[in-house]
Amino acid sequence: MNQQDSDNSFIAEALPAFISEAREQIEQLEQLLLQLEDDPDDRDLLDALFRCAHTVKGSAGIFGLDKVVAFTHHVETLLDRLREGHLSLNPEISTLLLQSNDQIGKLVAAAQDPQEDSAADLQARAELVERLRVASGDIAVVGTVSAPQASAEAVVAGGARAWHVSVCFGADTYRNGMDPLAIVHYVSGLGAISHISCDFESVPSLDALDPESCHLTLAFELQTAARREEIEAAFSFVRDDCVLHIVEPDASPADIVALIEAMPDFPRLGDILIDAGAISRAQLAQALQIQSAALAPEAPAARLGEILQTTSAVSPKVVEAALQKQQKQREGAAAAPDDNRFIRVQADRLDAVINLLGELVIAGAGASLLARQSRQGSLIEANAQISRLIEEIRNGTLQLRMVPIGETFSRFRRVVRDTAAELGKDVALEIVGGDTELDKSVVERIADPLMHLVRNALDHGLEPPQQRIDAGKPAQGKLTLSACHESGSILIRILDDGRGIQRDKVLQRAWDRGLVEQGVTPPEADILKLIFEPGFSTAEKVTNLSGRGVGMDVVRRNIEALRGSVNIESVPGEGSRIEIRLPLTLAIIDGFLIGVGASKFIFPLDAVVEVIENRPTSGELDAHGRSVVELRGQVLPVVSLRDLYSLESGEPERSSVVVIRSGGRRFGVMVDALLGQHQTVIKPLGRMFRSLRGMSGSSILGNGEVALIFDVHSLSQLAERPPSLTHTPRHLGKTSASASLSQESQPS
Amino acid sequence: MLETPILPAELTIYTAGEVHPLWRAWLTETDHADAPHECRIDAAAVDQIDGAGLQLLISLANSLAARQRTLRLVDASALLVNACQTLGLTALLEVTPCEEVCA
Repeated sequence: MNQQDSDNSFIAEALPAFISEAREQIEQLEQLLLQLEDDPDDRDLLDALFRCAHTVKGSAGIFGLDKVVAFTHHVETLLDRLREGHLSLNPEISTLLLQSNDQIGKLVAAAQDPQEDSAADLQARAELVERLRVASGDIAVVGTVSAPQASAEAVVAGGARAWHVSVCFGADTYRNGMDPLAIVHYVSGLGAISHISCDFESVPSLDALDPESCHLTLAFELQTAARREEIEAAFSFVRDDCVLHIVEPDASPADIVALIEAMPDFPRLGDILIDAGAISRAQLAQALQIQSAALAPEAPAARLGEILQTTSAVSPKVVEAALQKQQKQREGAAAAPDDNRFIRVQADRLDAVINLLGELVIAGAGASLLARQSRQGSLIEANAQISRLIEEIRNGTLQLRMVPIGETFSRFRRVVRDTAAELGKDVALEIVGGDTELDKSVVERIADPLMHLVRNALDHGLEPPQQRIDAGKPAQGKLTLSACHESGSILIRILDDGRGIQRDKVLQRAWDRGLVEQGVTPPEADILKLIFEPGFSTAEKVTNLSGRGVGMDVVRRNIEALRGSVNIESVPGEGSRIEIRLPLTLAIIDGFLIGVGASKFIFPLDAVVEVIENRPTSGELDAHGRSVVELRGQVLPVVSLRDLYSLESGEPERSSVVVIRSGGRRFGVMVDALLGQHQTVIKPLGRMFRSLRGMSGSSILGNGEVALIFDVHSLSQLAERPPSLTHTPRHLGKTSASASLSQESQPS
Repeated sequence: MLETPILPAELTIYTAGEVHPLWRAWLTETDHADAPHECRIDAAAVDQIDGAGLQLLISLANSLAARQRTLRLVDASALLVNACQTLGLTALLEVTPCEEVCA
């Protein structure tokens, strides 16, 4: 009873970990399958696939998830057929395996609430099982439960061969819930085990023993007709951290040499040779006797290796390899094991640390400020040191949250494959810059908008093969997902070489829907942006993939909620390009603090190119506070923050221009004071100030003042607005901006 | 305290952490000159065993060997005999099965 309870509580605790791991395996399965489609004969891929399926099945078994085990078993059988080369991967099998993988995913997801399947679920599963079995050519064999025991006898009879197996279990074997005893029992189901020896020397004495670490090293001979893969499969649960050697029955001395080279911790030459199967224990005993006999009369000690060569005809090469290995062990060159492992950390713990770090950054900035005010050199020095350390900790901590976007991208392989097939299109997906890293929370929240854009491109953008050929393009469409870093943000591009967006259709639709006043033609660049307006859909026919018209505005909203922006360009007939710009992280940035009058603002430091002294502008400022200056022979547009936001303060004696880079362009911002670099913890602006344009957040300075953080991209858009279009709203916006600014920038 | 050492019923990864310090203590207590050369331990009670338990036995045997003593498991339960045979540890058992001799 008690045991049962503790089992149950263990399962309840461990199940979420299992589910998250199983999900990873299932995702990996999918990726492997898709890779395999490109390279159907890749043996390593097939092995990895099999291992994934086997791991899911095995760990599901531990948790008693019988449905997962039963279903995955059929998938495994089919994979095994592929591995054996009885079948080769074709699109049908690939599709079937992908669907089966989805099914496994569903079953795993359902593990947490073990309710009964609906009839439809059951039928869908039965159908898949049926197809799997037909595909494996397995239909005649009913209920093939993998039972090596059952077939062992037949196997031994049919051409059994003697394999030499040696295995050194990893230290974590027990902690991972594995038991060498059970594994050997399982192996014995494959055939007959003989000459098993356990290396006593590899187990430390009681004083030095960690009873929960595994130190077992075994070697045995296995008489079986099973193939190498089947023997290996028996070790698949410990495969990752054990050292396993399986030597072919008719291995040449060279193989045995290689084996000895590779074996980790066999301390004695004799054991090495026995375990490699080069000599038998009896032969060793005989050789040892000769050695000790030779030692007795103080004769020059005959070396065991030489004796072995003479008595049991072990090839000299084999002995040499063993001797070399023994030598290396004596030198004790046991380098520290490569601890390139991962630790799972709960995301909220990490967030708590990052929040605290934010407070620390603010407090540190406050302390630096006080130190500077005190004018004590040593205190300033000490504070500078602390600030440096805080910065390093900050960078390190934020790095912890960074994940490559490639995982999200590769999820689209499947989407592209299935969607294109459904639409009768031929599309190749290219992924560029998958190792670009960004904050995990950003990655998670960008996946859905990306999905929508990708589907949109597939559905509306890319044409069916015949149309493409008629248009003089290759039949296969190309969709590119790319990511790269650009001035402190990440730029994600979705490119297709499809039919592009027809501006006149967009415009007509916008007129019809009342998004733009009938007959008014907005500037060329703004027409395409209309598709992001709520209630817009250009699809002539609504398909179930996209085109319900609920998508694009939601996409834009989601991206803007991440302080990002989305832009679309299109050339009719040649394709479209959607650019999503996102901040790298949502928490902390390096900022450049500037002042205008009494207000303080922060630019993201990455966006700042240089700072120049303001010089006489070529003309007066226009109504938006815009003008141009000459910079190294080029014209640089500048904007005055004082005029743009109607900040009421006197003109300063001298002002500076901060040159900002946004997208591919540069522009200058006129400011009064340059206050230097500043670590900035971003605090959201709150609902009230959502209408504030050009800002992405606020930050509390060390002295308690509030500074507003510019969103460089939207600031540039704000400054770009043509006066004619925005005359009236600008006026309204102006007052609201200045009102909110005065509220924000005056600390209470 | 542990005059005639007896193996516990459960000798697995779940009990290894408890048994280990007891055995160490026992080893220190009995580490004197007139300790018998052959250390016979009653192994009849063992009804649960796994790799970790066997590893502990090997470790005990190694510790005894370092003190010029040998470990003999007496009257081992069928389960233990079987497990020892599986992992090639029959040398620990009192009755050496034929297999070992042949090898």
